[in-house]
Amino acid sequence: MDEVATKIIEILRKHMKEQRDDIGLDTALTDLKIESLDLAMIVFDIEDGFGIEIPYNANEDVEDFKTVGSVVERVKSLMAAKAGSAAKA
Amino acid sequence: MSKTKAGRRVVVTGLGVVTPIGTTVDEFWSSIRAGKSGVSELSGFPLEDLKILIAAQIKDFDHKARLKHFKRDRIITMADRYSWFAAAAADEAVRMAGIEMPLTDPYRSACIIGSGAGGLTTFETAYRDLFIHNKRATHPLTLLRIIGSAAAAHVGIEFGVKGPTFATCSACSTATHAIGLARDYIRDGVVDVAIAGASESVITYGTMKAWQALHVLSPQGCFPFAKKRNGTVLAEGAGILVLESYEHAKARGATILAELSGFGMASDSQDMVKPTVEGPSVAMQDALDDAGITAADIDYLNAHGTATTDNDINETKAIRNVFKQHAEKLAVSSTKSMTGHALGAGGGIEAVACIKAMQDGFVPATIGLDEAGEGCDLDYIPNVGREKKVTYAMSNSFAFGGLNAVLVFGPPPA
Repeated sequence: MDEVATKIIEILRKHMKEQRDDIGLDTALTDLKIESLDLAMIVFDIEDGFGIEIPYNANEDVEDFKTVGSVVERVKSLMAAKAGSAAKA
Repeated sequence: MSKTKAGRRVVVTGLGVVTPIGTTVDEFWSSIRAGKSGVSELSGFPLEDLKILIAAQIKDFDHKARLKHFKRDRIITMADRYSWFAAAAADEAVRMAGIEMPLTDPYRSACIIGSGAGGLTTFETAYRDLFIHNKRATHPLTLLRIIGSAAAAHVGIEFGVKGPTFATCSACSTATHAIGLARDYIRDGVVDVAIAGASESVITYGTMKAWQALHVLSPQGCFPFAKKRNGTVLAEGAGILVLESYEHAKARGATILAELSGFGMASDSQDMVKPTVEGPSVAMQDALDDAGITAADIDYLNAHGTATTDNDINETKAIRNVFKQHAEKLAVSSTKSMTGHALGAGGGIEAVACIKAMQDGFVPATIGLDEAGEGCDLDYIPNVGREKKVTYAMSNSFAFGGLNAVLVFGPPPA
């Protein structure tokens, strides 16, 4: 698992009500007992940790947040987009 | 509010406080008996250019320890400080009442916990982050911490209250209005049990600046009714009661601490800061009428007594207006001389002081009263509290905007 994934799992662990050790990229967030308020705090920590902004609305079912792997992918693409726009500027 | 004593009788079965002179009822009451002041040097944040450098802050409250056993409300420890105080005071009151919460029918309970200002500490931190530190976002819980109904909601969640749950907001009368409304709901059969009162925690740089700009804070101390008084002292805390219908309390064999016999409210409808004699007088008289007693029945009056020039003279006039000849014999004191002015929470803390006075046969002092101010000519129990049988006690709350609310507590029904 790469650095981004490790860091994201660390953030997820911080907000999980029941700890577990078997979190992988294919783990569904719904299996982690993460509720909407937890998700808002997770997004906040990820944004702070990676210096990005994740467009997300708690009222919508977000495809990007289905599994740990999809979150990692989304964060990587946002980081790449940010790096790209910074390079252009 | 009706002027007849119709409906069910309402009793108090639980008390809870968090104050600068004690964060439990026992600790608070022994400080009151000892005439202890909660005023100290302002601390906890950069004082920068503040001119008022004192406040009655709570410096020994460990929210994690006090709230760690909360089961239903999982995020209470992440709430604003004002919600912590409310939760701790409500928890103490519910334990004292010995009542099992949630009720079998949770819709028969109410949770009315007000606040003059809600989560101002969070507000200030969030705005500093945004405007000064240029942070990209506020913490995700910011909004839930700030809202003035947060304390009522947190406490309602923890105790499984499914009936009326909301906050009152009437500046320094907030708790008294909350307790009065809860009383009415029980009296009128809407619910059987209520957790009611208020909580306040607004001692921040920004709030101190705002109060300073209004020029009503004392740089020296809170000296109600004294010649040397020169303003109030901001405090923080919470005061919460468990109220029940008499039948409900009796059926479960609860220890009844007092009856909430009367509630009166009236608005001056005149000025934001200049009080009338009429408004407070009407509120006091209504509370007496509601209790079905006369002014002469009151043994102890816990005054609003803020130590501002206007309040103390005006309140004295209103007391004379209502109590007539009995005013000469009436024991009046301001416990704000010890607790400071906890704004919205004041009436809740003072309701607890009244009930303890009745239970203990002890009338709290007005400390710091070496020489009475002009126009302040009642027996304010100067400096030292007094052993005295208290059958009926009245608690006054008069707020900015002329919002007056008064409670009368009586002995447990025979």
